[in-house]
Amino acid sequence: MKLRFRILLCSLLLISVSHVYGQEKQVNYGNIPDELVAYDKYQRAYKYHFLTPIEFYGAGREIPAPKDLKEIRIGFLGPLEGSPISSLGKQMLQGSMLAIEEANKKGGYHGIPYKLMVHTDVGLWGAAANEVVKMDDEKVWAWLGTIDDNNSHVAIRATLKLEIPNMNTGDPDPTFTETNIPWVVRVIPDDRQSGYALVDYIFNKMGHTRVAVIRANNRYGRVGILHFTRSATRIGFPIVIEERFMDGETDFKDRLQRIKATSPDAIVIWGNARESALILQQVRELGMKQPVFGSDRMVNPEFLKIAGKLADGVVTTCQYNPDSDDPKLKTFKSNYIKRFGQEPDVFAAHAYDGMNILIAAIEKAGLNRVLIRDVLTDMKTFQGYEGVTGKVVFDATWNNVRPIFMAEVRNGKFIFSPAPRFEKEDKIYKKPKSGYQY
Amino acid sequence: MKKPPRAHLLKYAIGAIVIIGIVSTGFVLVKKSGNVQNSRKADKDAVSAKTQDQEIKIPSSSSLIKEAKAMPVYGHWRNFTTKDGLLNDHVYTVRIVGDSVLAGTHDGLAVYSKGRWHTYTTKDGLAHNGVVSIDYSKTTGDVWIGTLGGLNRWSGGKFETFNQFNSGMPNDLVYCVYCDGKDIWVATGGGAGHYDTFSKQWEIFTEQNAPMHEPWTYGVSTGNGKAYIAAWGGGVIEYNLKTRKFRDYTDPDGFMEIDLQPDDGVIHDITTATTYSDSILWVSTYFGLSRYDGKNWRGYFDMNSGLASNFINFVRAVGPVVFICCDNGLSSTDGKSWVTYKKNDNNSDGKAIIKNFGRKDENNTDTLTTVLPLSPSIAHNFIIGVDADENYLWVATEKGVSCGERLR
Repeated sequence: MKLRFRILLCSLLLISVSHVYGQEKQVNYGNIPDELVAYDKYQRAYKYHFLTPIEFYGAGREIPAPKDLKEIRIGFLGPLEGSPISSLGKQMLQGSMLAIEEANKKGGYHGIPYKLMVHTDVGLWGAAANEVVKMDDEKVWAWLGTIDDNNSHVAIRATLKLEIPNMNTGDPDPTFTETNIPWVVRVIPDDRQSGYALVDYIFNKMGHTRVAVIRANNRYGRVGILHFTRSATRIGFPIVIEERFMDGETDFKDRLQRIKATSPDAIVIWGNARESALILQQVRELGMKQPVFGSDRMVNPEFLKIAGKLADGVVTTCQYNPDSDDPKLKTFKSNYIKRFGQEPDVFAAHAYDGMNILIAAIEKAGLNRVLIRDVLTDMKTFQGYEGVTGKVVFDATWNNVRPIFMAEVRNGKFIFSPAPRFEKEDKIYKKPKSGYQY
Repeated sequence: MKKPPRAHLLKYAIGAIVIIGIVSTGFVLVKKSGNVQNSRKADKDAVSAKTQDQEIKIPSSSSLIKEAKAMPVYGHWRNFTTKDGLLNDHVYTVRIVGDSVLAGTHDGLAVYSKGRWHTYTTKDGLAHNGVVSIDYSKTTGDVWIGTLGGLNRWSGGKFETFNQFNSGMPNDLVYCVYCDGKDIWVATGGGAGHYDTFSKQWEIFTEQNAPMHEPWTYGVSTGNGKAYIAAWGGGVIEYNLKTRKFRDYTDPDGFMEIDLQPDDGVIHDITTATTYSDSILWVSTYFGLSRYDGKNWRGYFDMNSGLASNFINFVRAVGPVVFICCDNGLSSTDGKSWVTYKKNDNNSDGKAIIKNFGRKDENNTDTLTTVLPLSPSIAHNFIIGVDADENYLWVATEKGVSCGERLR
C-alpha cells in the first residue's frame, strides 16, 4: 500500500512540475540543450537568470478606461522605407493590418474600431526611441514591432520607461527578451533556436567538422550567429574562419578566397536574402563545392530568384512551416493574397498572430496598459495559443521557444521539415555531470 | 496501536495535495539566513506624534535606529500626489536644489518650494512634458532637465531647448542628465553626449568612437576625473576626462542568462545607472547591484544582501551611502548595513527593514534583521528616482513623491 501510494505521489508530482507555467515539458532556459548550457560541464553558475517570469510591481492597474474614445489605437513600428529590410517591414505591416481589419469587421472593441498608428524606425540615431515617445503621446494601448535588432532594443527601453506593452514579431535577437523587461513579449522564435538546430544538423547529422562562417557585419549578423559559433566550439568543432560583409555589398570574393584557403567542409552564411544569394553565387564561381547553410532570412523569394538553380541543396531554418496543412494558415494565406496581392512571408504571418494576440489581450483586459500587460504575460492566457504560425510556447522571458523547422531547397523550392531535437546519446556530445533545470 | 489504514491514507493524501499545490503554483521556498526580530517590540515602543498635517508613528527607543549603525534611517514620511499639486502621480525623478525640490512627472515638472508645488509644462517652454531626469549645476546655477523629447536648460526663469535638430544632441529621449562643473553629460536613446557650457560644443559618444557595440546609453555620472556611462548591453563605459581614453567593464562570463562567479565584475551587461561617491562606483542593473572600489567588484543580489529586489531603476550615492531604486522597494546601503523601505500592499503603512551582515544574532546566524514599522510609509514600492541631503530623503515613485525625515 505504502509503495503504491508513493508511486502515485511521485507521478502526481511529476505531472504538476511539468505543467508549471503551462509548458508541456520543462526545458532549460531558451531551450538550450543540456550539452550546450554555458560552463555546465565545469561548474554551476553562481546565479541563473530568467528561470521565473519577472513581476511588474508598478502602479496603474486602478486607472479607469477613458470614455468617449472614437478609436482604439495600437502602434506599429517597422522599417518601411530607406532600409535594406523595408520589404520585410512592409510584410509585417500588412500582416498587422489584416488582423486589425478582421477585428474591425467583427465589431472592433465594443463597437469602437481599432486603428493602427504606423511609425517607421528608419531615421536619425535612436529614431525608434522617439517613435515610441510619439506612440505614448498618441495614447496607444500597445504596439507591435520591430525587426532590426538595434531599433528593437532602442524601442523597448523607451517602452519600459513609458510602460506600453510591446509585441515583437520580427526580431530574432536572443538578447531582446534577455533584457528582463516585463513589458515585452515575442512570438517569433529566436536565433538561439536556429543556432542550436543548425549545430545539430551540420555537425551531428551531416558529420561536418570544419565549418566557415560569413556573416553580416551588423548586430543581426553578430548576435544571430553567436549561439551557433559558441555551441560549435563547445561540442568540439570551433569555426575555422569567420568573415564579415556589409548590407548592400555585391562583391564578396576577397573574403571567400580567404575562406577557400582554409579548406572548410561546409559554409554558413548569415545575412539578408539578397547578400546571401550573391555570396552563394560567388562561392560556386570560385569552384567551392562545399554544402551551404544559412540563416532563416534565406527563406525568401528574393533568395531563390537571385540564386536560381544554385540554391538547390541549401539548408536553413524557418520559425514555422509555411506549407503546413493547418486550415487557419491556409485561410490566412488566402485572405492575405486576396488583400495584398502577394504571398505572406514569415514576418507577415507572425505579425498577424502577434496583432491578434494584442487585440485579444485588449479585449480581455480592457483599456488599461498595465492590465493588458498582465494578460499578455500571465503565462496562462496565451500560453499554448494556436496561431497561423503554430503554437506559442513562452519561456520565463515571454520568448516563444516552440520547435522550429529546417528548410531545404529542392528543385527551386523550400521544403520544410521539423528540426530534429538534440539526441543526447550521440557520441559527439559529452553528458554533463550537472544539470540546469527549473 | 496501529493506525487504521484510512487515516494513514488520508495523511498521505493531504501531504500530496499540499506538495502538489506548492509545486504547481511555482513557488520555491528558500531558507533564508538571519533572524527577523519583528516588530512586536517596535510596535510596543511606538508612540503617536503629530507632524505638520498628519499623525505618524515612530519608535520611542532609538535602539532600532542604532541597528542601522552609520546608515541613516528615514521616517515621518509625507507623500505628495496630484491632490497636492503634482501634474501626474507617475514621477520619474526627484532632485533637491537648495531649498526647493524638483520632481519630474509624466505630465510636467513640479517644483516644491515653501510648502507648495508649482508646475511647468511645454506651455512654459519644456521640451516635452515627460520629465525623466533633472540635475543642477553649482558652477552656473542652471537647472538641466532631461525630457522624453529633448533637453532643457532652465536659467533665469527661461527654458532653453536642446534637441537633435538644433544642437549636437545624440537623441531627443534623455534618460539621464548629469552636471559636473561647466560640463553637462547626457545619456540618450542614441548615445551619450557631453556639452561644454563655456565653449558651447557638443561631443557624442557612440559605438563609432567608444567601446560599446551599440549606442544604447541609459545613465551617466562622473567622479574621480572620469565619466561613467551605463550602456545598456555594454556594461559600464569609463571615460577618462584628462586622457580622453575609454575602457569598458562588462560581465566577464559573457552570457546573459547567468552570473558565473560572484564578484567577478559588473553583474550584468544591461546596466541602468551609475553613481560615484566616496571613491566607490555603484552600478545598477535589472539583475542586481554592483560596487567597484577601483580594484575589486562586489555584486549584490536580493538573495545575498538587503536589496529590495534585483530590478533596479536608478541609483544615487550621497557620501558613503547609496540609495537604490528597486521595482519593489527602496534600499540603501554603505556596503555593510542595509536599510530597505517597503510599503504594505493593503494600506499606507510600511516598514524599514534594517539588515546587518556579519553580525551574529541569538541564533548564531550571520545576519541580524530588524524591522521598524512606519506609518505612513513611502507612497509606492515602485521607485524610479531618489535624492537625499543631510535631513531629508526624497523619493520618486509610480504613485507620487515621498519625503522622509532622517530619524536621529
